[in-house]
Amino acid sequence: MEKIREEIKEIVRQALASKEVDLILAWEKGQLWYDSYPAFFTEEQGVDSLVWDQFCVNNLSKYLLDDGMAGQKVGILVKGCDTLAFNQLVQDNRIIRDNVVLYGLPCSGMIDPAKVRREGLDRGLIKIKKTGDQLIFVNKEQQIKVLPTQVYYDKCLTCHYPNPVIYDRLIGEKVANETLATHAGRFSAVEELEELSTKDRFAYWDQQFSKCIRCLACRNICPACSCEQCTFDDSELEILGKAKENSEDKFFHLIRAYHVAGRCVDCGECSRVCPQGIPLEKLNRKLIKDINELYGEYQAGLDPSIKGPLVTYQLEDTDTFTAGERGRKQK
Amino acid sequence: MSVIASDAVIKKEAGFEPLIVAFCCNWCSYAGADLAGTSRLNYPANIKIIRVPCSCRVNANFVLRAFQRGADGVIIAGCHPGDCHYMTGNYYTRRRMSLLKNLLEFIGIEEARFKIDWISASEGNKFAEVMNDVLAKVHQLGPNRKLRDSRWRR
Repeated sequence: MEKIREEIKEIVRQALASKEVDLILAWEKGQLWYDSYPAFFTEEQGVDSLVWDQFCVNNLSKYLLDDGMAGQKVGILVKGCDTLAFNQLVQDNRIIRDNVVLYGLPCSGMIDPAKVRREGLDRGLIKIKKTGDQLIFVNKEQQIKVLPTQVYYDKCLTCHYPNPVIYDRLIGEKVANETLATHAGRFSAVEELEELSTKDRFAYWDQQFSKCIRCLACRNICPACSCEQCTFDDSELEILGKAKENSEDKFFHLIRAYHVAGRCVDCGECSRVCPQGIPLEKLNRKLIKDINELYGEYQAGLDPSIKGPLVTYQLEDTDTFTAGERGRKQK
Repeated sequence: MSVIASDAVIKKEAGFEPLIVAFCCNWCSYAGADLAGTSRLNYPANIKIIRVPCSCRVNANFVLRAFQRGADGVIIAGCHPGDCHYMTGNYYTRRRMSLLKNLLEFIGIEEARFKIDWISASEGNKFAEVMNDVLAKVHQLGPNRKLRDSRWRR
């Protein structure tokens, strides 16, 4: 990754110098070891602080919607999951493709700081090296070898698009997809819940939703949640009041998940940013699973020219509510 | 319109009177309700009909809001696929509401509380049947507490 980082910096410097782009969206290192946060680069000199490491998990695509981006040529560093998000924003007519230069970065997975802490690997941590299939955590006394599956984000373990699906320029070598071939298993958590009784399922979700503090981080990070005006911002509608009311939490989470149905690229950012640890990806994946089963396999963000499943229809569609021949899908 | 609930339903539980919101498409199901009335068919007064231009006018917010503000059951009734006054509206309803129904079930809402059905203008019988059926099931389930706003008072 260090090697590629230098290459990225060089490319970014050149792009800024030649005025190919007005600004570049990338990551910068923060004060803490796991801190790689989004940053704008407009000056050639500033590029030294650009970083590409295994904590660059933030999806930068949504920053393209910022007011400051209007009328500018923007360069952006994108991973596989980010390109799906980018395509979705193009499909939703929120970004003009020609105004953006995509620098694709193959990504083999990002490290979850919470997992590192749980394993106790963060004590005295100096740096993290990657050799072959293993990660080496170097601290003062020793070097600890760790398998990536132990510390990568859950969403990275089921990732199906480690390589960018769209780019103007690819930096680095494409990574093999087989190493992360657990994509088919991404619905297992959903299936487990489906097996439970109605009562148990409600108990589970009631407890999860009641944790919500309504910070709206899940909405703000989501590349599919890109409306200019959001119904949850309108205080006169009394949809989200100031009182902590469980029914409003449920309302919010159901509508959030349902509103991105058919457009959710399953990047897993919502559950990653949730400070309360609500497993929001299970709601999204339930919808994706149903869409796949009922209306055919669909991956949002793969091809902006294909219409999403909820804005189109087939005459012979099935449904889940009428009895009879085309009735409820049997589990 | 006849508003006498069937005896079976009334006897079941005297204390609990379910409130059921039915979104009826203007062109088919609302006319179906009319026909049920003019045909002197019984369907319960617990059903509050809200007329919508097309079943696809109903979105997930409407359904959840109804549950939040006191409904014990929600019904969406529209034209049969292929009969939509606006040609394609109910095809979208079919996809959207299939997903919503599954999602509500997924978070643990009883399946019988949310009913979607196709009722044409000539199906007065079916209209009464569906309404009675939902009421009977909701009666069994009891009041909806899961999605209701705790500040709500009837």
